[in-house]
Amino acid sequence: MRACLTILLCSVTVALSAQTGTPLITSQDLLDGLKDSTRWLTYGGDYSSQRHSPLTQVTPENVNQLTAQWTFQTGTTGSFQTTPLVVDGVLYVTGYNNNAWAVDARSGRQIWRYRRELPEDWKGCCGAVNRGFGVLGDRLYMTTIDAHLLALDMRTGGVLFDVELVDYKTGYSATVAPLVVKDKVIVGVAGAEYGIRGFIDAYDAQTGKRAWRFYTVAKPGEPGGQTWPRGDAYLRGGGSIWVTGSYDPQQNLVFYGTGNPGPDYFSGAREGDNLYTASLVALNADTGQLAWHYQFTPHDVHDWDSTQVPVLADLTINGQLRKVLMFANRNGFFYTLDRVTGKVIIAKPFVETTWAKEIGSDGRPVMLPGHLPDEDGEKTCPDLGGGTNFFSPAFNPTTRLFFVTARETCATYYGYEQTFKQGEQYTGGATIRPRDQKNFGALRAIDPVTAQLKWEFRYTLGNTSSSGVLSTASGLVFAGDGEGNILAFDSRTGKNLWHYQLGVPIRSTAGTTYMVDGRQYLLVPSGSALTAFALPQRP
Amino acid sequence: MTRIVLVFLAMNALLLAQDTPPKNPAANNPHLGNPQSIRSGMALYRTRCADCHGLDAGGYRGPDLTAVLAGGATDERLFQTIRKGVPGTEMPSTTEPDDDILMIVAYLRKVGTVPASETPVGNAENGGRLFAAQCASCHRVAGRGGRIGPDLTRIGTSRSRAAMVREIRTPSEWIPPSFETVTVVTKDGQRIRGIKKNEDVFSIQVMDTRERIQGYLKSNLQELVYEKTSLMPAFPAGRLSDSDLNDLVGYLSTLRGADLTVK
Repeated sequence: MRACLTILLCSVTVALSAQTGTPLITSQDLLDGLKDSTRWLTYGGDYSSQRHSPLTQVTPENVNQLTAQWTFQTGTTGSFQTTPLVVDGVLYVTGYNNNAWAVDARSGRQIWRYRRELPEDWKGCCGAVNRGFGVLGDRLYMTTIDAHLLALDMRTGGVLFDVELVDYKTGYSATVAPLVVKDKVIVGVAGAEYGIRGFIDAYDAQTGKRAWRFYTVAKPGEPGGQTWPRGDAYLRGGGSIWVTGSYDPQQNLVFYGTGNPGPDYFSGAREGDNLYTASLVALNADTGQLAWHYQFTPHDVHDWDSTQVPVLADLTINGQLRKVLMFANRNGFFYTLDRVTGKVIIAKPFVETTWAKEIGSDGRPVMLPGHLPDEDGEKTCPDLGGGTNFFSPAFNPTTRLFFVTARETCATYYGYEQTFKQGEQYTGGATIRPRDQKNFGALRAIDPVTAQLKWEFRYTLGNTSSSGVLSTASGLVFAGDGEGNILAFDSRTGKNLWHYQLGVPIRSTAGTTYMVDGRQYLLVPSGSALTAFALPQRP
Repeated sequence: MTRIVLVFLAMNALLLAQDTPPKNPAANNPHLGNPQSIRSGMALYRTRCADCHGLDAGGYRGPDLTAVLAGGATDERLFQTIRKGVPGTEMPSTTEPDDDILMIVAYLRKVGTVPASETPVGNAENGGRLFAAQCASCHRVAGRGGRIGPDLTRIGTSRSRAAMVREIRTPSEWIPPSFETVTVVTKDGQRIRGIKKNEDVFSIQVMDTRERIQGYLKSNLQELVYEKTSLMPAFPAGRLSDSDLNDLVGYLSTLRGADLTVK
């Protein structure tokens, strides 16, 4: 009888949705990714996180005619780090301080706004940012800066469920855009600068009940636990998850990059490799069980989170089709991994790196001496911001080029003992920028088979960029510099074809692209505004 | 009736609370200048602040605090910023005891100011005359003087004597951002020399030697020359004797801000 009722209720829900015209995003839609060009349904565009759109209306020949169509000002403080979702003419956008909006994609006019009060006693290292929604059915999913997961009604922004991931008062926060896989919503927590123990969680998309948890810091006695000192250091071991992972449906594996170990700089507090921090973990999407891991930076002491975006592709290497995972790491190396085995296929620096000579045949970095932060300080390249960071890269599968915003920087790192106090910052050190240091940023195109640089476009000396990258099938790449420009490039040559001064540099994404009413839009979040560009309409 | 009275009382309490001026523990900071407190403040700074503001307070992810101090920030402002954080930025609020914050303020005052023992050196009066003759055409003090060089109204609070000597004798050794020398050459052959105020891939903003501020699109330029030498001339001993230098630095050390409020 109960089963009958449930089926009846479900049918009613579907019928109601159909009547009201609300789109129902299915698991198949998520698997299809960007096939429907009116949509952008996941953080990385599709499960591969290539951020490569099939759209071709805007081309290298006409991109110089791109014109701003509208601007949406949120009126909030803080900078966007979000990737807006696009579902059938409506944008779903998360912002600073637990804000979110639904916006008309044609006009930039607000449809609804959601706001959750930020607790007054919340602390976090890096701003009350959010990186975007996940979507399934007629529900949107977002994490909150006070470490909750919310399900919102797509039509109204009303809360459907609210689940606490962990108590934010103990130093945790959440900023990651959820990854929806089948009937589960996968999220993680931030806070490695506050002595947390990181984890990846999956929740039932309907009920909000937790399905599984994977701790990114192994406990002594468990596999990987031997890489931590005896005692309770692992409880403060960091390993944040603040950038969305990728999903391989064939293997049913999700891939996540993990954050730095805690405390950030003081080596003496945590002897050992510190698994699974600064690593890539491959987890079964149904159970959260670890299939394999690869640690990019064993015993990291430079705050080099490996929370970059894992980009999936199938590449022919030496005549053999390989399932690969490409990863430009904050530690300055670019990696192509076999995503079935987790073994390194190739790894080379893509910026100046002084801490490791190379990645050895066993997959471990061959360390250079003199790069352990202490009271006297040591100079290392790259700086704590890394060779790149959380900003999304892009990959064009036709030209087989990987595009990433690179940072050329160095820092003097200091490390010292610090007493842990729950809820307080716990970094065990600090950095300074050498006075004669001239940083710069660049957009770089890397061949993932050889890890060689194919082209670069250098931005102005003295500043770096935190922009992500977007690629399109027409042969364009979009990215931002550190001075507030959004730029378009020829993806084969790196030639700059168009730019527009937004007034605030882009952080995180370089925008998304979608079709509405037969027009291709480029949507760019910068500062606390969204700007949409399109080609002029012909009369 | 009771409810009305309660509401009235609650409103009164609210009004009273609003009327009460905000607490300013920094008005009477017992830790200022106390070496032991400054050491404790340094330890607190290192664990709570240095990751963002840099171990030398010179800024990293967060702003350069030495510049904030040199810019005339009061102890009250420092205290309240640490207490309340800066909404919309990465600077968090804190619930730590007042005493901890006051010790951090005492430490910042130590790193951000020039020791008092350094200041009374040289003949400031003669230094002032030298300044008027040699420096004032480019440097501004209290709203008077040139604009092409840095404003020196508060230089006495932000530069040690050694740093001033270095910057007068060898100004090209390190040129602060916004004062780097450039020459732009327009397509019609006009050469404009000045200091770079801002730049991106497509444009450059310049104050020329006549103090005109102007932006140029790089696509409209014939040439853009980045010069390694500061527009400020070097003053070696042959040009400015040790004794005059001493007097000039003595004068500069007296420049500790000016009140430009119209009374």
